[in-house]
Parts: sequence; C-alpha cells; structure tokens
Amino acid sequence: MSIGRDEVLHVARLAELAVREGELDRLVDQMNRIVDYVAQLDRVPADRMTAPFLPGPASAALREDVPGPVPLARPPAELAPEFAEGFFLVPRHGAMEES
Amino acid sequence: MTWEAVIGLEVHVQLRTRTKMFCACRTTFGDPPNTNVCPVCLGLPGALPVPNAEAVRLGATAALALGCTIHHTSVFARKNYFYPDLPKGYQISQFDQPLATGGRVTFESAERGRVQAGITRLHLEEDAGKLVHDRFPGKTAVDLNRAGVPLAEIVSEPDLRSPAEARAYLTTLRQILIYAGASECSMEQGSLRVDANISIRRPGESRLGTKAEVKNLNSFANVERALEAERVRQIGLLEGGGRVAQVTLLFNAGTGQVKPLRSKEESHDYRYFPDPDLPPLVLDDAWISARRDALPELPEARRSRLEVALGIPAYDARVLTSEAPLADYFEAVVAAGVEPKTAANWVMSDVMTTFNETGGFPVAAGRLADLVGLVRTGTLSHQAAKRVYAEMAQSPDGDPAAVAERLGLVQVSDQGALAGWVDEVLAANPAEVARYKGGETKLMGFFVGQVMKRSKGKADPKGVQPVLAERLK
Amino acid sequence: MSAAAAAKEVGGRLAAAEPLNATLHWSQALLDAEAARVDAAPAAGALGGMPVALKDNIVTVEQPTTCGSRILEGYTSPFTATAVGRLREAGAMIAAKTNMDEFAMGSSTEHSAFGRVRNPIDPERVPGGSSGGSAALVAAGVVPAALGSETGGSVRQPASFCGVVGMKPSYGRVSRYGLVAFGSSLDCISVFSRTVADAGRVLSVMTGHDPLDATTLDRPPMPVPTPLADLRGLRVGLPREYYPADLHPGVGAALQRTRAAIVELGGEVCEVSLPHSPYAVPTYYIVAPAEAAANLARYDGVRYGPRKVGPEGDIRALYQATRGEGFGAEVRRRILVGTYVLSAGYYDAYYRKAQRVRALIAEDFRQVFASGVDFLLTPTTPTPAFRAGEKTGDPVAMYLADIFVCAVSLAGLPAVSLPVGRSEGLPVGAQLIAPFFEDERLLAAAAAIERAVPAGAEVR
Repeated sequence: MSIGRDEVLHVARLAELAVREGELDRLVDQMNRIVDYVAQLDRVPADRMTAPFLPGPASAALREDVPGPVPLARPPAELAPEFAEGFFLVPRHGAMEES
Repeated sequence: MTWEAVIGLEVHVQLRTRTKMFCACRTTFGDPPNTNVCPVCLGLPGALPVPNAEAVRLGATAALALGCTIHHTSVFARKNYFYPDLPKGYQISQFDQPLATGGRVTFESAERGRVQAGITRLHLEEDAGKLVHDRFPGKTAVDLNRAGVPLAEIVSEPDLRSPAEARAYLTTLRQILIYAGASECSMEQGSLRVDANISIRRPGESRLGTKAEVKNLNSFANVERALEAERVRQIGLLEGGGRVAQVTLLFNAGTGQVKPLRSKEESHDYRYFPDPDLPPLVLDDAWISARRDALPELPEARRSRLEVALGIPAYDARVLTSEAPLADYFEAVVAAGVEPKTAANWVMSDVMTTFNETGGFPVAAGRLADLVGLVRTGTLSHQAAKRVYAEMAQSPDGDPAAVAERLGLVQVSDQGALAGWVDEVLAANPAEVARYKGGETKLMGFFVGQVMKRSKGKADPKGVQPVLAERLK
Repeated sequence: MSAAAAAKEVGGRLAAAEPLNATLHWSQALLDAEAARVDAAPAAGALGGMPVALKDNIVTVEQPTTCGSRILEGYTSPFTATAVGRLREAGAMIAAKTNMDEFAMGSSTEHSAFGRVRNPIDPERVPGGSSGGSAALVAAGVVPAALGSETGGSVRQPASFCGVVGMKPSYGRVSRYGLVAFGSSLDCISVFSRTVADAGRVLSVMTGHDPLDATTLDRPPMPVPTPLADLRGLRVGLPREYYPADLHPGVGAALQRTRAAIVELGGEVCEVSLPHSPYAVPTYYIVAPAEAAANLARYDGVRYGPRKVGPEGDIRALYQATRGEGFGAEVRRRILVGTYVLSAGYYDAYYRKAQRVRALIAEDFRQVFASGVDFLLTPTTPTPAFRAGEKTGDPVAMYLADIFVCAVSLAGLPAVSLPVGRSEGLPVGAQLIAPFFEDERLLAAAAAIERAVPAGAEVR
C-alpha cells in the first residue's frame, strides 16, 4: 500500500499540520516506510482474531451529578494567548465560517 | 407532476443535569463566559473525562419514553475535528454502539392522520462551547461554559412527508421529553436544537433522492418554513431537469430563504474510534427496569386517563395534556372539587391564556376552585368570574370573594332588585313586549340582556329569567 | 537531616548535573518550598522527605509542563496530577521536572525540543527514552527516585540503558489524571529508582482508585512489598521469541547470569512461547499514534500555549502554524500516521485490526501464566545504550529498540527492569514480567534477584 503526496497532504489537512514544501518528500518516504512496516499485521490470519482489547475496568464507573469541579489555580485569562472580556479570542473563521 | 418530500430530523436535547457530561462543572445557562470551566472541559493537558450518572439515567429515561431498546453495552467514541468551540479537538459521542435504538414517535398529521415515525437511535454526547462572532472586530470569541453539557442526540427515520409533519413530530417529541423529565426542551435557551434532512422523490419510488441538510433552525415554525423553502427549491430543480447536490444549508429567518454554507468543505472524516479514556457503559436489566418503573405518566397515557377517568372529551384531553404543567394544574383544580368539564373549560380558556403569556399559573388551583364555587352558588355570573380571574392573575394573593366585592361584581339575586330592573326594561321596550306576547318567545334572550345591561352585569341571569317570565305572562 | 537541609543538597546535585541536560525546570526556591511543607507536616509520611523528580509530562501547578515541546513552552498547569498529590501527602519533595522525548514519543530522548539528554555512564550515548531525563537523574545519584511514563517501554528501556530500576505498574493502578496523554490505553506513570525497595515504596503511595480517572481500577492500592528470601516454588518462563540467536552477546551473557541466579535462589526456569510477539511493535505503532493523534488535537493555540498565525490570518492559519511550528518532526510524523490509520477506508485495516491483534498478544501472556508460570524473564533491550545520532535517521530503526518492552504495554501488565550487569562498561537490564495486578509479587521477587545479581559487574 503506497501513500502518495496528495494523500499525505490530505492527512496533514485533517490533522491541521502545515507541511513545509521542503519536507514533503521526506515525509512521504517516512510515512510509507512506517506504514509498510506496520502492515505486517496483514500476516495474522483473520480467523484467529477476536474482539478488540482495551485494558482497564470492564465497565465505566459513573459520577454522581453533584457540582464541584477541580478548581483552577489560575484562571483561563492567565492561560490564554488572547483573552478579553471573559472570552478566548481567535481570528475570524476563514474557510470554516458557518454563519 | 407530483413529488413526495422525505424528511428526517436530528434533534439534540440538553439533559436536565446539574453538572456536565464528563466533569462536575455546573450547566447553568447565562453565567458570565468561561466561569463554569475546569481542566476537563477546557481540554487542558492531563485532564480526563468521567461520565455523569444522572445524564445516563435521563438519557435512558428519554429512550424508554420514546419506546427505544436500551443496549446493555454502549461505547463512547471520539468524533475528531477541529473547531474553536471544541476544546479537545474531538467530541466525546457514541458511534456504532449507541445507548439506544429502535423507538417511535406517534403524532397527528393533517395529511395522513395518525403517523408513527421511527426513531433510529438515541445516543449520549457532550456539547461544544459557544462562539460569538460580532463582538470583537476581526475576531471570534469563545465561551466554553456550554462545552461538555450533556446532550442526547435523537435521530428519526426519514418517515416524515411534509414540513408540517416535521413540525408536528417535533411538537410531540418535545412534549414526550418534557413529560419524561429528561430535558427543558427550550429552543430559545438552546436546550433543543434541530437539524433537518430533506430529499424529494416520486410517490411510490422506494429509493431516496439526494438529501440536503438544513441547519440554524431556532423554532419549530422556522423548521417548517425552512423545509418548505427547501422543498420548493428541490422540486424546482428537479422539474427543470437538474439534480439536487448534497449540500448543507443555513436558514435565514429574516428572509425565509435557505442558502448553502459559504464554503463547500469536503465532507468531514470524523475518524471515529472508541474513546480509550472511557470503559464501556454497561447497564443491566435491573437498572433498565428501574428506569422503566420510574417513568412518569407519558402524554398518551395521561390523555387516555383524563378521558376515561374524568370523562372529558378527547379534544379537551388533548389540549390539556399538550403541556405537562397545564395538565398538572387541571388535575389540581379537579382535586379541589371542581367538576371536570367545568374545570377543563376554565383551564383551556382563561388559565391557558395566562400560561401561554407568562409560562406560569398566577392563580393557585385552590383559588380557582373557590372562584368556580362562587359561580356555582350564583354569587357571580360567569362573565363576572372571568373579570375576577383576570384581576387575581395580576395580584395573586387575592381571595376571589373579596376581589369580587372590591370590583363590585357580586351578583344580585335579591328578588326585589331583580323585579325593579325587569320592570324598568319592560317599560322601556313596549314594542318588544308586544311582539313577545304575540309569540316571539326568543325575545326572552333580548330582555335578559337588557336587564344585565341595566344592572351593569350584576343581575344574576338565572334569577332574572323567572322574574321576566312571570311579568310577561 | 531536615528536609530543608536535604533540599539544599539536592539543589547542589542538580546544579552539578546540568551538563546531562536532564532537567527542564528546577529551582532552589521551589525545592525550599517543598522542604518547608515537609518539615511543617505533623508526620514524616511513608516517603519521609524523599526527593522525587518528575518527567515533564506530569503536570504541577508550581512549575511549567512542556512535555519537551515548544508547543507548550511556558505553559504552567492550573492543576496538579493526582499521583504527585499522593507523593506529597506521603512526604515526598518534588525536586525537578525532567527532560523527555517530545510528548513521550521516542526511545532515546533525542527528540526533545530542548536538546538531548546525556547518559551519565557515557555522555556520548543516549539514556534511552522517552523518560531519559528521569532515568539520568537517578543513575547520576541526583535523586533516589523519579517518575517517568510508559506508553511502549519508556521507563524500562531507559532504566536498562542507565543501569537503574524501572518499574511499570499494571495499567489502571496509578491515576493518569495529570499525565499528559499520549496513548491513553497504554500510558502508565512509572518509577525509576536505585533499588527495588524504593520503587515499591513510591509505587505503593501512588496506586489506588482515582475518581478523576475512569480507567483506574476500583481495587486496593499496592502495599509495600516484602522482599522474598528466595524463589523456591516459583517458576520463571523464558519466552523464546525474546532470545533471538543474534541477541547482543553482552545482553545474552547478563541474562544467562540472571537465569543462573534465579536457579540458585531455588526457582525453576523453563522455556515458553509468546507466538504473537513479532506483531507487538507493528501493533503498537498503529495503536499509539492513532490515540496520540486525537490526544494531541487539543494543542491548537486557542486556549493555552504559545500561538502562531500563518499569513492568511484566519483560524485555519492559527491551527496549522501553531501546530506545524510547535511540534517537532517525530511528533508530526506520528500524528500523521495516527490520523492516516484512523481515516476513512483505513480504520478497519489498521486500527481495528491492531486492537484485535493486541487481544491475541494479551492472550499469549494469559495462557502462559495460566500454565503455571509465575513470572517471565527477558532482556529489556536488544542492546546496551547506543550512540547519540545512531538511530535518528530511520524512524523504524528507533522503533525496534522497543522490541522487548512493547508487548507488555499492549497487554497492560506489570514489569520491572533490573540492572543485571555491564557489557563493556554499559549497563544491561533484565525484565521481569508478572500477570496483571501482581505488582506486589513482582517486586517481592525482583528484590530477591536484585540481591543475588551484581548489577555493576562486567559480564564478559
């Protein structure tokens, strides 16, 4: 299974990662190398496979509906790159504008 | 050429919990921005989600109220995309193993009569934050108070056939969810949101046409208007020989038009996978039975009970149960001693008007019962009682009898007073008296009216008539 | 010694250890504040003033947490990790935040945005990764214990390279609340120490259910293990897949010596098989990047961290520039691989399949333990520490460094790496693996082996 430049650019777009023009070719090579390596799993016979595995508890323990979040030692305003009048600020949407 | 519209609805309702889906922040609406936030709903490094038991209970209750099957095991999944209102860069939702599937909503369609629309699924997820676009020039403001609030997403089968049916479905769905206590279902407050899908095909055709999705709908009326606009647009396209493209449209309530989203994004690849931070949600039969047992009486059942047990007409029962608080009030009035049909008349008229205006019941059920009692004993005419009610609605603590006194509305049943007015009326209308005596007995109504006028509404009409009848012999 | 005095000593050692580049944040002022708290406490606590360093992906309120990345440069968390809170309650002093491969992605601590860490045994060599800074500080004697995190061996492997003890608990025993997520179904806060006893003390304080982490088990914390006097009645399995013919001879020799010691302690040794072992590394390099791609989506420059905006000036330009410039090459690679294996059309072929193969790997271990084997003994790493720059050219070559530690992470099992000798002066580690939740027994047995094997002795 070979990944082309377009596919890498598409995946980069999904992950919102800018890819510098200079590094694209190396990235394509490396990704192909990695994906070819992990494709070894194709050798595991399908009939031997069971349900997916996740360690941890078998069922989720639920939390009662009582207010009392973990308090913040510093407020959002101090964490934010840009903050005004109680809001986080970001540039206006370009391609993502809905309304 | 006839066309059939095929409509499906995706409804998101906020579940009535005190805290968010995965953290203990409050869900209060309207608090100052970014004050109900914590590491979890801010998506800070190292934070982890823990599911809210009440959200699961309410989600399951809603599912049962809609006749769904609850799955013993359901799985939270990550829905991955980037948006400023989505702190983690993914929404925790449910994908191929939802909480519930296979329910129905039964409603009255003007075109088709009783319709049972299928519900494909109901699943749990967390809400995103809120974006404010016009407060800071060139910027979008982000408020994460709403991020993490518990939602139930309810997806209908494409069983609706007209914009009006969509509205009727929504009205019934909302009613059921309010009865079940699962959600406030207020579109104004954003606790109920609707996205609609519509496609067009020839009647009898089994395949579905290409569907368009309509968003940004803020009232049931606008859902109907938007779907109507889109229905017309799609039919126009098809009749002109064109094809419907799969688009997402926004409804503009001002113009009543739908238009496509500004840029056509490639359709999202959400890359769903089970959330490794959350073990499966496992609900056993005993737990599910307990939710079923705890289900409050639902609209259909309540309607039936009111008809059968209280003997009120079907129409009245439907109106009274349209809102659970209204039905509660009605039953309280009956419990306070008022005859059911009388109570129904009062609640469907004066009481419902104030309820629709204010959302409340300024006159307590017991007080209304007292007022109705005054009419029954002849102390007040029905007209007078309506005026007393209106007055009591303004100043809730009034005792009906005292208010009636103050307004000078207490009926006069005293024979002497009645006789006086009757005599005055008969003397003032000799021609009518002659006509009455000549056989036009329907003029009795005219005379009663005249006596009411002359007495400024105070005469007890029930007492007036016999006096008139006596005088006119 | 009072904690205040100990804090001054630790400060001195940290300053002297700067050339290792093992720390990202520490200050005498913060050390003194920790000491003041310890000295003011009514009781000494189980850890009695022990200075403990933390890998810089474990959040604290007092210091920045960067995860070795520019994208979190200057970020100071408004909450502290549960595990750290428990350490402090037990009287520990937090000494420093340590250097690491960026976002825990790496096996050499050469992928930190803040420079590589030097192996104290030989500064031209890597300390292993991703928890290289923590390993180096313990190996250099700066602190007796340090926390690291494991996703695919990131504590055991550096422990082996640096000649210290590295203990990974069973998944779900130590809260991940406050551990910056990389591979959520794999991540475990783990412990470096010079002795098995210290690893036991530190771990016992941290284990136990946390209502803030839904993946913690609702089962009792681990008590402090009592070392076994011998290994009589115990069977130790040697999985043949972990002893390839071309195993580095120094590593082979050290394992031989360890095996002999086990027999001398009265333990029985036998050969076993974990047939799906060859699939562990490929499975890991599908599951971990996939979970990581989603876990790292929150680093978008909106709510915290430094922000960069590209020339278009819109929200997309914010995301792409912040992430493109903030993440290093290895992290970007893994995010892309992870996104790819989850994307439409590939989910079943990669991620879903990998999770099912994972079940087979876990089942291999279950079956072997069910057949009457108490522990498994393997090399921790295929070679001793390699030279800096040796493996950074080929990502897959680096991944293969995890070949013996990966499967344990996939199965969620407890495992400890013990230093069992030197090969041409470089430390060699042996790995002991126990069944799920048998952390106490594992450390009890490890203590016996530790006593019997001279960790500093040359094997050839």
